[in-house]
Amino acid sequence: MRSLLNFLLRFKTLILFLILEAVALVLIFSSHNYHQTVAYNAARTVSGFVSKRIDAGTNYFRLRQINEELVAENIMLRGRLEALEAGMQEQFLTVDDSLSGISYSYLNAKVVNNSVNKQKNFITIDRGSRHGVTRGMGVASATGVVGVVVGVSPRYSVVMSLLNADFRLSASIARNDYFGSLAWDGISHRYATLSEIPHHVSITEGDTIVTSGYSAIFPAGLLVGTLTGEQERGGDFLSLKVMLSTDFKRLTNVFLIGSLNREEKQNLEAEVTR
Amino acid sequence: MKNLSRYSGAFIVLIVLQLIIFNNIEFSGYVNPYVYVMFILILPFSIPSWFLLLLAFFTGLVIDLFSGTLGVHAFATVMAGFVRPLILTLNITSEVNDPDMSPSLYRNGLRWFLFYTVTVVFVHHLSLFLVEIFTFSNFLHTMVRVLLSTAVTTFFIMLFDFIRQRR
Repeated sequence: MRSLLNFLLRFKTLILFLILEAVALVLIFSSHNYHQTVAYNAARTVSGFVSKRIDAGTNYFRLRQINEELVAENIMLRGRLEALEAGMQEQFLTVDDSLSGISYSYLNAKVVNNSVNKQKNFITIDRGSRHGVTRGMGVASATGVVGVVVGVSPRYSVVMSLLNADFRLSASIARNDYFGSLAWDGISHRYATLSEIPHHVSITEGDTIVTSGYSAIFPAGLLVGTLTGEQERGGDFLSLKVMLSTDFKRLTNVFLIGSLNREEKQNLEAEVTR
Repeated sequence: MKNLSRYSGAFIVLIVLQLIIFNNIEFSGYVNPYVYVMFILILPFSIPSWFLLLLAFFTGLVIDLFSGTLGVHAFATVMAGFVRPLILTLNITSEVNDPDMSPSLYRNGLRWFLFYTVTVVFVHHLSLFLVEIFTFSNFLHTMVRVLLSTAVTTFFIMLFDFIRQRR
């Protein structure tokens, strides 16, 4: 007993060191659902508050560029409206589409905290459970896919950025509809990799990559990026380098995408595949 | 008592600087300075190692809470707190008249302080970046990030220490 005590006293620093490192590792590994803990939510509210103040200052200097993006989005929406109206006059079939086909709802949000320099980047936005945000909602900007909501507090939400090593997105090549899995390469905030594309598929530099819509988080056809032409061959599949259409370094205005039918779709899929 | 207020002041200043300025600095994704490690460097020579470890853990945890990386910084700061006494015994300086004084550029000399800072900061950054991505693949890329960030962090710590002594 005494020798055990002596041993503990002699190595107390080393033992304390090992205990603290073990605690840190437990924290890291349990942090997949840490946003649910009260302590984390409290800290998030505080840091969200601070970030909002900082953001208010930096936003002012970006007004011109934000304006340009809004104008561009307006033009795009106007074009879509035009197309819709033209379609409705021609045939009534589209009415059927609007009765049953509305499956996504949208809500605008502002980015109050963002990072691109880590391997696991998260974005904080100023909408929370008070505004009806729930975990699993998609987030996109006028220029393309941004991420998925992983944590919600009353006023803020944390979004797992596309620039996160854990993020996977089902995306397809717009021209021929071949789909694969898109993930960040962890190196540059401008590029990601689209893998699992069969190697007989012909690809061209500049091909548009869009969401496939299979996950029901994002509607199909949402812009993700364009192919750079660089490719890598592994087994039967190609890995293609994708230039992201969203510049995460200057992300300000985003919108949340709520899927109205996701639960029904997932329940059905679970039932059948069980 | 005077020391307590001095060190808690330094703690708050470094944390605030880190969260507001240095967390927002990035050059092409390779340089992420973590200057708050300076708090572990300037604690007095006489501090018991167990207390140093606890303070280091606490410092890392505060940074973690505010940057949403629970445990990652705590892991790295505890590692830095563990190697600090080892480096102090390796790299003996004759200038320790008062064991309660804090290691500094001014009293311990440029060469001594530079070596001390670089080694502790390197250990901190290496463990931080490795734990952050948790893989040895792309090791070269991680090493470049570690080395560049270590250089920039060291530069700022030297600068702050210089300012600290001038006051």
